[in-house]
Amino acid sequence: MEKSEYLDSPKQDSGEAVPPLIKIISTNDLEGFDSNKENSSLINLHPSFPIQPFASSLVESETAVVQTLNEEPQLINHLRKHSVSISMPSSPMKVDMESTKRVVFSDSVETMSVFGILDSSFSSTHGSEQQKFHSQPIPKGSKFAEAVNGENLAAYHPSIKRLRDNRFDSFKTWSGKLERQISNLRGRPWETASENNGAQNAKNEALHVDRYFDALEGPELETLRSSEEIVLPDDKQWPFLLRYPISSFGICLGVGSQAMLYKTLATSASTKFLHISPTINLTLWCISVALVAIISSIYLLKLMLYFEAVRREYYHPIRVNFFFAPWIALLFLAIGLPPSIATNLPRCLWYILMAPIFCLELKIYGQWMSGGQRRLSKVANPSNHLAIVGNFVGALLGASMGLKEGPIFFFAVGLAHYTVLFVTLYQRLPTNETLPKELHPVFFLFVAAPSVASMAWAVIQGSFNNGSRIAYFIALFLYFSLAVRVNFFRGFKFSLGWWAYTFPMTGAAIATIRYSNEVTNIVTQSLCVLLSAIATLTVTVLLGSTILHAFVLRDLFPNDIAIAISDRKPKRHTHRKWFHLRNGSADKKDNENFLKSANTDCRDLEAALKPPCRPESKEAVQASSLSDAK
Amino acid sequence: MVFMSQILQPTMVSPGSQSEGELVIDISTNNSTTTTTTISGTNEQQTISMIIMKRLKQSLNSSLTRFHAGYFRISLSLGGQALLWKTLLGHTVDQNTIRLVLYVIHPTALLVLWSLTLFILILLSLLYILKCLLHFALVKAEFLHHVGVNYLYIPWISWLLLLQSSPFVTPKTRSYLVLWLVFAIPVVALDVKIYGQWFTKGKRFLSSDANPTSQLSIVGNLVGAQAAAIMGWKEIAICLFSVGIAHYLVLFVTLYQRLSGGDRLPAMLRPALFSYFAAPSVASLAWESIAGTFDTSSKMLFFLSLFLLMSLVFRPALFKRSMIRFNVAWWAYSFPLTVLALASTEYAQEVRGGIAHVLMLILIIISVLVSITLAVFTGFNTRMLLPDNDPIASLQINPLPTLST
Repeated sequence: MEKSEYLDSPKQDSGEAVPPLIKIISTNDLEGFDSNKENSSLINLHPSFPIQPFASSLVESETAVVQTLNEEPQLINHLRKHSVSISMPSSPMKVDMESTKRVVFSDSVETMSVFGILDSSFSSTHGSEQQKFHSQPIPKGSKFAEAVNGENLAAYHPSIKRLRDNRFDSFKTWSGKLERQISNLRGRPWETASENNGAQNAKNEALHVDRYFDALEGPELETLRSSEEIVLPDDKQWPFLLRYPISSFGICLGVGSQAMLYKTLATSASTKFLHISPTINLTLWCISVALVAIISSIYLLKLMLYFEAVRREYYHPIRVNFFFAPWIALLFLAIGLPPSIATNLPRCLWYILMAPIFCLELKIYGQWMSGGQRRLSKVANPSNHLAIVGNFVGALLGASMGLKEGPIFFFAVGLAHYTVLFVTLYQRLPTNETLPKELHPVFFLFVAAPSVASMAWAVIQGSFNNGSRIAYFIALFLYFSLAVRVNFFRGFKFSLGWWAYTFPMTGAAIATIRYSNEVTNIVTQSLCVLLSAIATLTVTVLLGSTILHAFVLRDLFPNDIAIAISDRKPKRHTHRKWFHLRNGSADKKDNENFLKSANTDCRDLEAALKPPCRPESKEAVQASSLSDAK
Repeated sequence: MVFMSQILQPTMVSPGSQSEGELVIDISTNNSTTTTTTISGTNEQQTISMIIMKRLKQSLNSSLTRFHAGYFRISLSLGGQALLWKTLLGHTVDQNTIRLVLYVIHPTALLVLWSLTLFILILLSLLYILKCLLHFALVKAEFLHHVGVNYLYIPWISWLLLLQSSPFVTPKTRSYLVLWLVFAIPVVALDVKIYGQWFTKGKRFLSSDANPTSQLSIVGNLVGAQAAAIMGWKEIAICLFSVGIAHYLVLFVTLYQRLSGGDRLPAMLRPALFSYFAAPSVASLAWESIAGTFDTSSKMLFFLSLFLLMSLVFRPALFKRSMIRFNVAWWAYSFPLTVLALASTEYAQEVRGGIAHVLMLILIIISVLVSITLAVFTGFNTRMLLPDNDPIASLQINPLPTLST
C-alpha cells in the first residue's frame, strides 16, 4: 500500500533524500531530468546516489570537497552515464556504506543491516520484501542500476573474467571499487544488467529463508543441492575469511566448558578423591581466553571486510543460532573463572554479557512467534538449542553471582521457549525441513539445555531440589538414549560445528557432579568420573581431528558453500516441497492437507505486511522495483 | 441513557473514569435505538407511532446482527482496570513511596469505575441475550467460528473480574459463592466442549484452529481459579488452574509453531496478539492467590509475560494494518496490559526494590493511558463501533444470508 504512494510521487520521495545544494544542481542543470520523469524512478533517484559520497566528503576532508566540487559539473554534463565514477571520497568504505544504505534501504524505515548484526532486527522482514525483484525486468535507463551494482557486475561479467579476484567483491564490505570506477570513467560501456540480475542482487538484499531450504541440504544445511549453483567460484579456494564460519566459536564453547568442568572437579566435595589440581582449570581457562580472543578478532575482521558474508550467515536458518555461541562462550569464561584469579565478579558484568543475548532472543523468538518465513515449524533444528541454552547459562552465572530477579527472568524465558522447542523437535513435523533424517552429532545439543537448567535451578533455589533433579534426569535420559546409538555417528564429514556439540556432554558431567554433591554414593561418583572422562576424551579426539584437518589435510576451512547460494531459483524446484510432504505423512490425510497448504502459503503475519512473496502480480513487481531503486 | 451519563460525568474523579464517562455516551448513543426500545417496553409510551417502531426494530435488527461477543472486550478491559485500582487502593504492606503516592486517588473513583463497568456489562449482556433470543443461528455461527468461539469466554471473564473487584460483595460470603458458581460454570462447560474437541477428533483441530484469541479460554480458567482462591476454595482453584495451565502449555507450543502460517487471524484482529502475554500474567496472579505468596513460579510467569510483551512491542509492523481504522478489536490491547500491571504490582510488593516499583509505575501508567485512549477513540468513533466489515460479524452474516434480514 505504501508502495503505491511511492509510485505516485517518486520525485518528492527521492528529492527529500537529496541535500539542498545538489537538489538545485541536479534539477537545474541536468538535462532531461524533468522530461524523463516517466521513465520510472531511476532517473529521479539518480541525484541521491552521487550525493552521498559528496555529502560525506564534505564532512571528511577539504580535499575531497574540492575534488567533488570540481567534478560535479562533469557529472551533470555526462548525464549520469558515469555518475558513479565521479565523486571519489577519501574513504572507499564510506562510499560503500553510504551507497548501500542509500540504494538498498533508503525506503526501509527502521534499520539498515549495514551497521551490524544486532542492529538489523528488522532487516529480515525487509529481506522478504527486497528479495522479490530478482525476476523483474530492469526498467530502461538501467545505466544507473549498473553503476550502483557495478562492483557486483564486474564480478560476473564475462568480459572481465580475467579479473578473477573480483568475483569475491560482492561479499566485500569495501572492495576494489576504485579500479572499476576508473575503468568506468574511461567509458567502457556496461552491457545490459538483466542478464546478471541474480548476481547483482547478491549484495543488495537479504536472501529469503526459502532459498536456503531449497538450495542447501544436509543436517547443518551446509551442502549444495546438485541442481543449484553458487555465486562464488567453486573451482578454487576462497579467501580465508570467507571460509571462516561463525561455528568456529564452537571451539570456545568446547574448551570453555572443559575449564568449567575442571573447576567443578577440583572444588567439589564429592570428587575430592580424584585430587584434580586447580592448575588444570587455570590452564584450560587461559587457553579458552586466548581462543575466544583469537576467534572473535578473526570474526570481527570478517565482519569488517566481508560484511555480506556475515549477513548471509545471519540469515542462514541454522547458522543464526551460532550467533549465540560467542556470548555463551563469554558466559562460560565467567563461570569457569579460576578461583586463584578472582572469586567475585562485578555484577554489572552479568548485565553486559546478557544484553546481547537478550537482544538476539527478542529477534529470534519473535520470529518464531509472530510468523514470518522463519516460524518455528519450519526452522526447528537441534541447533536451536544454542538459542535456548544461553538463558540457562546466564541464569546459572547470575544466580551464582548473587543476583535474584534477573536469573529468574532468563530462566523463565528459557524454560517457556525450551518447552516449545522440545515439543516441536519431538514432533518432527513434515513442514520441518532441516531436521536431520538420521543421527548426527548435533543431537547432543538435546542434552545441553536440561543439564544446564538443572544447575541453574539448583543455584536459584539454593539446593539441588526436586525441580533440579527432574531436569537433570531428563538430561541424563537423553544422553543415554543418544549414547546407545553412538555407532551411528559415523560417516559424517568433520566440521568445526562439532565443537559446539561437545559442551552438552561436559554440561551433563558438571550437572552430575553437582548432583553427586547432593547424593554422594559410589554410583553417582563413578557416574561423575565416567561422564567427565567421556567429555574430556571427546574434546581430545576433536582436538586431534581438528589438528589433523588443519595441518595435515589442510581442509579445516573448506569453501563455505552455505553463504554463497544464489538467490535464483532453478525452475525445477517449484513442487519439491509438495512431494516431500506427500512422502512425509501419507497416513494423516486431513492434517497433511492442511499442513501442505500452510507450507506453501506465504501470507504470514509478517509477510502479509509486504507485497506477496513471489512477484506474480505486476503491482508487486513495480512496487518492489521502486523500492529497490530508491 | 445519554442523560444519565451526563449526570454521571461531573462526579468523576480519576482521569481514567472520566474518559469512561465518554464511553458511556457513545455506547448509549450508538445503541440508543436498542435501549430506547427496551425502556419503551417498560415505560408505557403509547404515543409512539407504528412507523417509528418499525424503523427502530429494523435498526435494532441490523445492529444486533453485527453485534458479537467480542464487544465484551470493553467491559473486560474496564473490569481489569477496576480490579487493578481495587488492588492499588486496597490494603497493602508495601511501604514504597511510589505505591503510597497512588493512595491520593479517592476511593470513590473506584466505585464510579466499578459501577460504570457494571452498567456497561449489563448493557452488553442484555444486548447479547437479545441476540440469543432473536438470532440464535448467528450465535451458533459464532460458536462454530474459530475466533468467535473464544469471544464467548469474555462475558464470563468480565463478570468474574467484576465480582472480584466488587466493593460490595466480599469473598467468603454466600452471595459471592453463588455468583462465582453462576459465572464459573459456563467457563467450565465451554472448556469441556472446546478442549474436548481439541484432543478428540471433533470439529476443530488445534493445529488448524489455534490462534491468539484461543488464549482467552485459558484466561477464563485462570481468572476463575483466582476468584475461587480468594474465596478460600483452594482445591477448586488448583483444579481450574491445572486444567488451564495444561492446556496453556499445549496452546503455547502450538501457537509458537505457527503451523497454520498465521492467516487464521484476520489482520484487523491483530491486537489480539496481545493476549500472548495476558495468559501468563493471569496465571502468575492466580498462582499467587493459590500459593499465598508471589513465589518463584509466579515470578517466572510474570517474567515470561514481560518478555512476550517486549517481543511484541519491538515488532510494531505487525499491528500497522489493524491500526489504520478504529475497530472494537483495539480494546484487546487494554486487558493484557492491565493484568500485566496488576502482576507487576504484586511483584513489586514481593520484591520491594526500586526497579520493581518503577516497572510497576510504568506498566500502570501505560495500561491506564491505553484504556483512556481507547475510551476516547471509542467516543470519537461511535459510527465505527458496528462496522460492516467486522471479521467476526461478517463471517457470521455471510454464510447465513437469509437470517440477516
